[in-house]
Amino acid sequence: MAHRYFKDNREYIEALRNTGDLVDVYQEVHWDLELGAIVRRICEKKAPAAYFHSITDYPGFTALGAPLATYRRLAMVLGLEPDAPIPKIAEEYKKRTTGNPIKPKIIDKKDAPCKEVILLGDKADLFELPAPMVHDGDGGRYLCTWHFVVAKDLDSDFTNWGMYRQMVYDEKTMVGPVLPFSDMGKMFYNKYVPKNLPMPFATVISPDPLSAIASAAPSPIDEADYAGMLMGEPVELVKCETCDLYVPAHAEIIIEGVILPNVQLDEAPFGEYTGYRTSPRDKRAVYRVKAITMRKDPILCVSNMGVPTDEGQLLRSFTLGLEMERLLREQGIPTTGVFMWPESTHHLVVVGVRPIYANIATQVGQLLFGSKLGPWFHMVVVVDDQTDIYDYNEVIHALCTKCHPKRGIRVEEHGVGTPLNPFASPEERIFGRAPKVIFDCIFPPEWPKSALPIKVSFNNVYPKEIQEKVLANWRKYGFKD
Amino acid sequence: MGEYDTFINKNFEELMEDEEITGVIRDLTPGKKKYKGLYARFQVSKDPNKYPERLWIRLGRGQLVEKPCSMRVIEFIDLFAQT
Repeated sequence: MAHRYFKDNREYIEALRNTGDLVDVYQEVHWDLELGAIVRRICEKKAPAAYFHSITDYPGFTALGAPLATYRRLAMVLGLEPDAPIPKIAEEYKKRTTGNPIKPKIIDKKDAPCKEVILLGDKADLFELPAPMVHDGDGGRYLCTWHFVVAKDLDSDFTNWGMYRQMVYDEKTMVGPVLPFSDMGKMFYNKYVPKNLPMPFATVISPDPLSAIASAAPSPIDEADYAGMLMGEPVELVKCETCDLYVPAHAEIIIEGVILPNVQLDEAPFGEYTGYRTSPRDKRAVYRVKAITMRKDPILCVSNMGVPTDEGQLLRSFTLGLEMERLLREQGIPTTGVFMWPESTHHLVVVGVRPIYANIATQVGQLLFGSKLGPWFHMVVVVDDQTDIYDYNEVIHALCTKCHPKRGIRVEEHGVGTPLNPFASPEERIFGRAPKVIFDCIFPPEWPKSALPIKVSFNNVYPKEIQEKVLANWRKYGFKD
Repeated sequence: MGEYDTFINKNFEELMEDEEITGVIRDLTPGKKKYKGLYARFQVSKDPNKYPERLWIRLGRGQLVEKPCSMRVIEFIDLFAQT
């Protein structure tokens, strides 16, 4: 049975408007910095999303800013009430993504809204799309900030959807990083480049919200199947005009072309998910455009990366954490949950465990750092099952009181990182190196029970009947809540 | 006079007078094509009036150098001619 979900951004915008999670901006805004500045401020204030009805130079286009930058919006795209607590959102996500993958459904071109306008050859001009200059000082106009790139392995059916940023260079060219350890990077550098073959790609701009989540999720399941699981029914795909790739039929804009194996061009700097511009302008992959297809009145979704909280931080934190929880459970680790605060820019993982044996924190940290997910974070905080992993105050308290400053902190010097780590030296960034650290916030199980410090909290040091009496009389004492 | 900018991955002080650079310049002409990239061989002067085109310099992380330079384009290069 299909779950509650939005088939496209139009349904989603209407729902956001109805719950007060969207502001309609009718005043004309300029694509050159003004639109980006508004979206940046929305992210920093955790304000409602913005629907821009008038963009300078681009009549006929509208834009949705900060489409999924809050947990309220995430709850809504998963069919929940906007004020659903994070654990409930996590439960709904886990429920939908457990079970059998759901294969996509291929539909006819005439039924695909993303084919309402088809621009081929010279008519496929990137400057006809309202790519914003997102931040002052960026290396170019980033057309693709809320999107994913579809690419297929050269000699198998493996297809990848991934969010790889893309900057407009000229009418026919985009540039962007394709990291060698990413799924698309492995296909491109291991298969296409050695044979000097261009790799077909299709960029899906402004996909429906669940397809966007599927593309950002670090799951081993094929992303199109994963989108189907999130929807509870097959995602509808349609074939590209110039290659054998398939794209979501209800997306707003599709760009088709090839990634060149033998040319690189300057890309970046760009405001990144860490909240800094860290990686410098450098030679990166070149995307040459062959076709643009879109709806008649396309909506460009714009995410603005920077200091928390933006879509990248929120979604990657959420999905990475749940994927790590899945991994730990598969390995039989007695975990109670995993959570990443978006404010950590998905660099810090909090893992709750039942501490039934010694050095479980080390085991957890090594397992997570050694996984495919490992490059994206470098701090693992392991707490016991008495600590609420979603409660910032409880985790900070555990970290500062239970983690021994020497034997509780375990550093692994030679980890795999990303070039975007602001703390890394220029050399470490070039080679993608990053130290990793585990914070063990669990009292050693070998300590005698009589020597264990007792947590002094309302829930822990009063008899149950006293707690109930105090709670029952709280308002009578004169307190409001 | 056209207006362009370029990025250099070094300190501004290390940019030599009349240095010849082969790389990307961005066309800053207002309108839909603002920030279009052009691959060129060009010569740069820190004197804003020496060459016909105005050139703004940005450092590797986007920092704008406050004072403009000037440049002359020696040639535009088509990177995609052979692709």
